[in-house]
Amino acid sequence: MTKTRKLGTWMNVFFLTIGVLIMLYPLAWLISTALKPDVFALDGHFIPTHFTLGNFSAILSPTSAAPVPQWLFNSLFVSISASVLVMVIDSLAAFALARLQFYARRFIFSLVVASLVVPFIVLLIPLYNEFSQANLLDTYWALILPYTSNAFGVFLLYQFFRGIPKELEDAAVADGASKFQIWWKIFVPLSIPGTATLGLLTFMNVYNDFFWPLVATASTPMRTMTVGVAIMTIGTYSTQYSFMMALTLFSVIPMVIAFLFAQKQLVQGIATTGFNA
Amino acid sequence: MLREQAVETPALAANTRRTTSPWKRKAFREIEALAFVLPYLVAFVLFLGIPIVYGIYISLNHWNPIIGSTGFAGLQQYLDLFNFSILSSQQFWQSMLNTVIFVIISVPFLVGIPLIVAYAIYRAPFKNVFRAFYFFPTVLSATAVSAIWVFLLATQGGAINDTFGLQVPWLVDQPYAWISIDVTTVWWSLGFNLIIMYAGITQLPQATLDAAAIDGAGTFRTFLFVVIPQLRNVLAFVFVIATIASFNLFAQSFLMTGGGPGFSTQSASLYIYNQGFNALHMGSASAMAFTMGIILAMIAFFQYRFAQEKVS
Repeated sequence: MTKTRKLGTWMNVFFLTIGVLIMLYPLAWLISTALKPDVFALDGHFIPTHFTLGNFSAILSPTSAAPVPQWLFNSLFVSISASVLVMVIDSLAAFALARLQFYARRFIFSLVVASLVVPFIVLLIPLYNEFSQANLLDTYWALILPYTSNAFGVFLLYQFFRGIPKELEDAAVADGASKFQIWWKIFVPLSIPGTATLGLLTFMNVYNDFFWPLVATASTPMRTMTVGVAIMTIGTYSTQYSFMMALTLFSVIPMVIAFLFAQKQLVQGIATTGFNA
Repeated sequence: MLREQAVETPALAANTRRTTSPWKRKAFREIEALAFVLPYLVAFVLFLGIPIVYGIYISLNHWNPIIGSTGFAGLQQYLDLFNFSILSSQQFWQSMLNTVIFVIISVPFLVGIPLIVAYAIYRAPFKNVFRAFYFFPTVLSATAVSAIWVFLLATQGGAINDTFGLQVPWLVDQPYAWISIDVTTVWWSLGFNLIIMYAGITQLPQATLDAAAIDGAGTFRTFLFVVIPQLRNVLAFVFVIATIASFNLFAQSFLMTGGGPGFSTQSASLYIYNQGFNALHMGSASAMAFTMGIILAMIAFFQYRFAQEKVS
């Protein structure tokens, strides 16, 4: 019995490991090709015969075909700004919905629920025209603001706030604290893990988004990393695979860092919300 | 609103002199709560509410992105979608059909593979390590993932043709183009569904799994007759979100195949984008987007109802 159990476990590990190798295969080639001179990009050698870091200095140099550092800055600035905004406004709203009794509570809550079924394609054209009317296309405003209406964070923090014991609040009320003080001094500190998860998921969502920044920006310096990679992949670098892979590798660095240092929060956030906006 | 009423009514106005007036307190409570919700509500109205209304308005007009309305169309652009003598209607429904094909070939893998892997990881040592590896591609952008696979699938010298000694035109010929987009998508997002299913499996009552083991059920039979039935809520959820995500296929078509060969991998989102931003027919593109949105909502609704019925 235990022998077959043990055999089963090792078979299991064996197949899972093969799966891991399949998952890693594309990434291994990504790194390998990014480290080859472009003339050897398609030579079929997994271990580069001519090792170089030249592709990175080429794509990052001021004379490169694309302002890659500018794109990275845009992406980081936009996704960090959006995350901070979302964390603040969602936390405030979730606090009211979870802990305050008021007339419009149920109405607002059902509105927020309903919004989750609206696919982005429905918003694409009107959002574009709205920002065009406001003369804000091709600005950071256009790249940041549309993400603030996402309702996932309100839910995430709503659930978090529901779990905070009422007694803590009562004690603060007895001390004469205002609702704002209760939010700031009790709910915000106690919800740091949930809020950090929300910030992280929003960062990932915004940093990785492609469709909206594709239409919201027009000038090369305002593009984000994802749009930049796309433009170069179907454009200048479409036959220069080493440059393409170097740019792609460079573009994913922030997410690799997020993955390495906050995998637990990412996993938890996805497991509890199915966040996939 | 309540506060205005309180001030306008004389009887209540007299009441407000008492600082603990219940009306005043109630009004204050309402306004205080709304103040908390207000920042989010403003964002919600500006970037969700207004766009939906504005989008309906655009769909009722002939609309050019630079000059706006070029004439009221009423429901004509919706009706035109069902007039198949119009080329753009044919192309729209063709792109919807393409999208349905993609949903059909991707969703079974996006549900099945993560389910099997999640259970395998649950039974294996080094759970966190395995989970991390399968999860990793999910954190990458669709554009990065597409770029990687464009290189891997290059006909001449691409890593896959090279490794296996093939000459398959992966991205420029059917059925390979669909297979390529499918494999790319499954590789990219199976980790996402895996996370949800793994969490679901760890929350199953341990007693049922133990009981199955005592009854002599092997790993495979436990999986089939104990784990899957108990996981149906989670599976239904993943099934719905995978379907919706697949329906929204855009970046992979845009980057890997350009919608080709011909228009065979042009997804509905890609067609609507082209119709709006390249052909500049934003009115009809908006009508298409709403039609697609309604179909999507209906599919999600029926899938969810169906899953719910099976549960009860």
